[in-house]
Amino acid sequence: MLPAEIKETLLQRIAHAIHPREQAIDVMTIMQSHYGYMSDEAMEEAGGLLDMTPLELEELATFYNFIYRRPVGRYVLHICDSTVCWMNGHESLLQHLCTLLQVEMGGTSPDGLFTLLPVCCLGYCDHSPAMIINQVIYGDLTREKIDSVIHKLREQAHAS
Amino acid sequence: MPKLTIDDLEIEVPPGTKVIDAAEQLGIMIPRFCYLKELGPAGACRMCAVKFLQGPFKGVQMSCMVDAQDGMVVSTNDPEAVAFRKQVIEWLMLNHPHDCPVCDEGGQCLLQDETVSGGHGLRRYLGRKRTYRDQYLGPFIAHEMNRCIHCYRCSRFYQEYAGYRDLGPLQIADRVYFGRFKDGPLESPFSGNLVDICPTGVYTDKTARFRVRHWDLERAPSLCIHCSLGCHTVANARYREVVRIEGRSSGKVNAGFLCDRGRFGFGYAAHPERPRNAKIAAQNVPMSAAVREAGRRLLEIRESSGAEAIAVLGSGRSCLETLGMVQHLSRVGKWTAPDFFENPQMERKVKAIVSQLDARLAVSLRDVEKADCILAIGVDPVNEAPMLALAMRQAFRKDAKVVVVDPRPIFLPMRFEHLAVSSARIETLLQVLLQVLRQTDLAAPPAPLPQPIQLSEGLLSEVAFDSSVQAQFHALVETLVGSRNPVILCGSGVVGESVSSLAADCAEVLQNAKGKGGIFYVLPSANAFGAALLASSPEHSFLDTVEGIENGTIQALVVVESDPLRHFPDGPRLQAALTKLQFLLVLDYLPSETVRRADIFLPTCTLFEVGGSFINQQGRLQAAEKVHAVGTPIHQATDEAMRSARGEEGGGKHPPRMYDLGIPGGEPKAAWEVLDALMEALVPVAEGTWREDPWEVLKQEIPLLASWNGRGYPADGLHVVPEKRPGAAVALPLETEAHTSPSEASLQLLLVDWTFGTEELSQYAAVMRQVEGEPFLCMHPQDAERCGLAHGDALEVRLEEGSIRASLKVRENMACGVMVLPRHGRIQWQELRNLSGRVPFECIQKISTDTQVIEDLR
Amino acid sequence: MSRYPQVLFQNRKLKRINTLEEYCQSGGYQALADVLREYTPQGVCAAVQEAGLRGRGGAGFPAAKKWESVPADGAFPRFLVANSDEMEPGTFKDRVLIHAEPHTIIEGIAIAAYTIQASKAFIFVRPNYEGSAAILEREIKRAEEAGYLGRRILGSDFSLEIIVHLSGGRYICGEGTALLNALMGKRPNPIKPPPYPTVKGLWDRPTVVNNIETLANVPHIIRNGPDWFKGLSLVEKSPGTKLFCVSGKVKSPGCFELPMGTPLREIIEEHAGGLLEGSEFKACLPGGASTRFLIPEQLDVRMDFDSMGEIGHRMGTGAIIVFDQKTCLVGATLNLIQFFARESCGWCTPCREGLPYLRDLLWRIENGEGKEEYIPTIRSMCKDMWNSFCALAPGAASPVESLLTYFEDEVHEHIVQRKCPFQ
Ligand SMILES: Cc1cc2nc3c(=O)[nH]c(=O)nc-3n(C[C@H](O)[C@H](O)[C@H](O)COP(=O)(O)O)c2cc1C
Ligand code: SF4
Ligand code: FES
Repeated sequence: MLPAEIKETLLQRIAHAIHPREQAIDVMTIMQSHYGYMSDEAMEEAGGLLDMTPLELEELATFYNFIYRRPVGRYVLHICDSTVCWMNGHESLLQHLCTLLQVEMGGTSPDGLFTLLPVCCLGYCDHSPAMIINQVIYGDLTREKIDSVIHKLREQAHAS
Repeated sequence: MPKLTIDDLEIEVPPGTKVIDAAEQLGIMIPRFCYLKELGPAGACRMCAVKFLQGPFKGVQMSCMVDAQDGMVVSTNDPEAVAFRKQVIEWLMLNHPHDCPVCDEGGQCLLQDETVSGGHGLRRYLGRKRTYRDQYLGPFIAHEMNRCIHCYRCSRFYQEYAGYRDLGPLQIADRVYFGRFKDGPLESPFSGNLVDICPTGVYTDKTARFRVRHWDLERAPSLCIHCSLGCHTVANARYREVVRIEGRSSGKVNAGFLCDRGRFGFGYAAHPERPRNAKIAAQNVPMSAAVREAGRRLLEIRESSGAEAIAVLGSGRSCLETLGMVQHLSRVGKWTAPDFFENPQMERKVKAIVSQLDARLAVSLRDVEKADCILAIGVDPVNEAPMLALAMRQAFRKDAKVVVVDPRPIFLPMRFEHLAVSSARIETLLQVLLQVLRQTDLAAPPAPLPQPIQLSEGLLSEVAFDSSVQAQFHALVETLVGSRNPVILCGSGVVGESVSSLAADCAEVLQNAKGKGGIFYVLPSANAFGAALLASSPEHSFLDTVEGIENGTIQALVVVESDPLRHFPDGPRLQAALTKLQFLLVLDYLPSETVRRADIFLPTCTLFEVGGSFINQQGRLQAAEKVHAVGTPIHQATDEAMRSARGEEGGGKHPPRMYDLGIPGGEPKAAWEVLDALMEALVPVAEGTWREDPWEVLKQEIPLLASWNGRGYPADGLHVVPEKRPGAAVALPLETEAHTSPSEASLQLLLVDWTFGTEELSQYAAVMRQVEGEPFLCMHPQDAERCGLAHGDALEVRLEEGSIRASLKVRENMACGVMVLPRHGRIQWQELRNLSGRVPFECIQKISTDTQVIEDLR
Repeated sequence: MSRYPQVLFQNRKLKRINTLEEYCQSGGYQALADVLREYTPQGVCAAVQEAGLRGRGGAGFPAAKKWESVPADGAFPRFLVANSDEMEPGTFKDRVLIHAEPHTIIEGIAIAAYTIQASKAFIFVRPNYEGSAAILEREIKRAEEAGYLGRRILGSDFSLEIIVHLSGGRYICGEGTALLNALMGKRPNPIKPPPYPTVKGLWDRPTVVNNIETLANVPHIIRNGPDWFKGLSLVEKSPGTKLFCVSGKVKSPGCFELPMGTPLREIIEEHAGGLLEGSEFKACLPGGASTRFLIPEQLDVRMDFDSMGEIGHRMGTGAIIVFDQKTCLVGATLNLIQFFARESCGWCTPCREGLPYLRDLLWRIENGEGKEEYIPTIRSMCKDMWNSFCALAPGAASPVESLLTYFEDEVHEHIVQRKCPFQ
């Protein structure tokens, strides 16, 4: 169940929309940031708010990139695999990340902290190679930079 | 009208015609997958590419997306277009599993046809094929997503056309998946159409799975007789058994679609217990012997008690030929006038509708799709005549307003306004409506509509309607006044007897003013119209017959394809009466209770075996053709034979190992033929007034058909309703008291139909057990509260000596003061002996709260 | 600093965005005030028409012409959508623009909305620009507080609400009609006109979709006049400046505001600092991933819609991706096709099935399993992509087709050597 204040925000957004459906992505995104991912139950809950059937919502959830329908780690790393990043060494960086986190593409690290997913061009080609972790962009990536980012995130996780 | 040239042939088509349809009119079938006329263009598959040589478009374009325009020159076989289409086929086949040998679609697969005709034969693609996980979609439909070519027909039909919301496209790119959120039965009662429209084998008929190959089927145009609409079908049979029903497009009835009751409800025809032998005192005898004996017994009774001591009961599920012969036999034999309705109240209503229906007012099912305003009175389309709901939805999609006046908790796959008022109040509302319509200048409606509203306010305040109903009523008046093509739908089940004519009068006033619109009645059975046409005496009903039996004036009862023990509202009374009968002769093809009670039983054929004509609720005379030979289905016969030969269970089904001169179980004849034979046994040939051809008889019995040659009427059927204006308006005084007594400690009992589980024929189809759910009844929250009941309670309703058990559904969207009870096949609602129609509160008892309500699939 | 006049970037700062006050000091919102006071909607349209502003979203469609196609008797409410989906590889100008000068976008939206009499505008932003969306939301609020948005703007009869919509993230959502579906909470499949969105768009109401760069130009046109705008360009038919993004093997990748018609060579060699040390120019995609590879011989072409068209290329969004001689173009094309195949909306066959097919063939060639017979197959399939439902698939075919046109030898080399010669 959603905390009352989140539910209230969602209901307000929906009430403000021309048609509830319009808020489908927003509702799922907000609920996802609360739950971590959109479980079946969360989908049904969201459908209830939006006057949509779970199927109608699923049509959208599975279309898009940033709605997770399966459990993900605390940090979701989307690493850009489009042209410019590819040209600037995405493959070896990806390799590095996989070894570092002990995951394969699409997997979650054994400590449950990191999920690694591909993403297409992030719009940071001027800072390629790039990745995005929980909405924060990391550009001009090198192995060293990746090491330090992961290190920092690990510490952050252990601290909390 | 645009004139264009396609492959050197000229054609003129109405504006808005797509090039693909213009070509089809020329006999040029442009390949296609996503396009279906009923669904409109999608432009998804790109298979219908043709080359435009002249006109406003140039080059390769999709013929389904382009409206025909003057001066267009189109080539469907230009090499560029042909090459592109070949490429499209290759693309579509990249991931196809090539499992045609185990695919039920094989042989009638659009993908197969177009792969071959498109010239794609060699596989070049070396990549891995994509694979999907299939879903469980319920007992009707099998799912095989690997075969999908992503034409989007299924989701467009399911969501846009039919209005259900639990199947659709998921995922993106080449992973697009058509399915549900989770495994589970499809919620739409129109799901079977997926089988017909899927151009490959993603959705196949689960009930027919692995049973036939298409090329082995016997196919014939047939009709659906599971409700009064008379939708057109194609029946498919194999080994003397129907295995599958498909939709068939008709100009005026259904657009090629069917509901699931009509599609999957045919199991009665090959029911394992279907009585196929004539019987005397429950012993099998040859048909001829049974007919002779039946004749002898009837003659005996005539001798002893006079001809009027013999009564006949037919029903609206028989074809017109049979009904005509019943009528004829009874008239020639000078028996008591025949009845064609087991339920006397229903009989009066249907006769009233049929006798007053005016050809100029009666609109067809397809006309309903064109309405811009639909007022449904006392009709529950999804449950009573499902395809009507689909037609209404098409009107709704073109912005029609839909208003339903009905006491029941109505569900429709569209937005609509529901005036949930009791049956009695429907009459009052209609009277007010009629007066308002009469006093308003409908041809030039006043813009803000003050007069009609004031008028209705005045009238309504006299009869104490609550304000929300009044507001809804005003909105309805406004909609009707402003409409261009208003259609009134009127049921015959839960409404009082004057409603049909009030509705017709409203429709007439509207049609006179608007030049369009009309009325659409829903009747209780496939041939109720024909039955009412034939019913000679408007006053006589089966109740009179029952009384006759009780007081001894009726000694023999001939029941023709009817099951009074199922339909007569007072079960115990009829049971008792039957014991007083001297002779009960039953003709039927169903293993019914009445059949079991017969002194002599004569088996008859289903419409699949002999065909037959039916008149639908609009007065449209339509024919079903014979599909397969009469006889026990081979697998049943061989099973039986093998088992008895080996004295064990089991036995092979294929190849059939039966060696006999006759067809096993082949004795049944069309009911009218049996009656004919019976007549022969009764009336010496010399006196013969009977004729062999049932149509000769029908022409005598139904004056409307006198000038008709009886064969070869148009595909759409023949409209046999005369033109006559409905009777003068029933100027009843506005009822003010009778139904304004909420304090009364009883509920009005409404016995109603449900999509699955109440209709007679489909009840015998085994697959229906899986979808019909548990018996339930519905009450308004206020009533439930007054009785101290809650949603989900298991109830017992005990009246006189009978009782039924069902769980309670509490529904906001229904009238107060009524109890809605679907005539579920597994409850003996006849035991309630409910002719008065009221259930006192104290007769409703809670028996436990722990039974779970199985929510209906919505 | 650029030697060309800066319009959209005139207040661009290194580390922070330009504030509302700073924008106003530089003349911001004056155009809106003038418009509301002095212009009829037709007047605005005429000025923009006169200036010859063409869409910056890729197709170069005249903005005024699109606005005019909203029927005079079209229903209300009407909508304006500012497209900042920007998911095409190589493109990031919208992001830079939002971070430099959000208010010129907001003012542009307000003026365009007034022109078509829209009462609600949406800015459609890709999900990983959440930061940019937050900036927009914050600045919209400030503009509202300052009276430039909201009810009865600056005392006029015109009211406007701007809503920032964060997408769920898919390239196809940038396509104008798919975007409308996305906004309405439907699956973002494109819709084939007619009816055009300007007649029947969002919730069946007239709707105009413009790129945010297009809209950002509008206040400046009003402020300085059509002639000034035309004077900004080096060519006649594409007036104004353009935001060019340069990425890939150049020394200083980035986004530059340059006159329309600036020669491609100048953009790469001068503004983007030339190629990296040790790199030689081999090819570039001049206008984002959906344009054709352009070769050294064509480097002197001017970057504007028509000059590019004349040599059989598209300027697209002006996002230039530079490849050097050490980069395998078969690999690059494979990567591009991988992108398009993954982002196909799955509606029509050529794109949904054809792109994975192309990907498979290119993958085989790149990985030493190629055969000569694949080449004609690829060629003909590229041609067939033009018969798809929307412009995604033809765009996707562009790099592949041009690879075979300009670099067929490199493809052959892969097939002959049975491996990628660059590895
Ligand atoms: C696949 C595809 C993706 C597109 N993505 C974008 C985009 O991200 N941003 C954009 O402004 N236009 C995009 N467009 C172009 C839009 O369809 C549309 O032409 C544009 O937004 C109109 O704005 P303009 O007239 O101001 O250029 C895309 C087109 C296609 C076919
Ligand atoms: S080309 Fe077809 S499948 Fe591809 S994005 Fe456009 S509509 Fe969707
Ligand atoms: S039938 Fe025309 S595109 Fe599918």
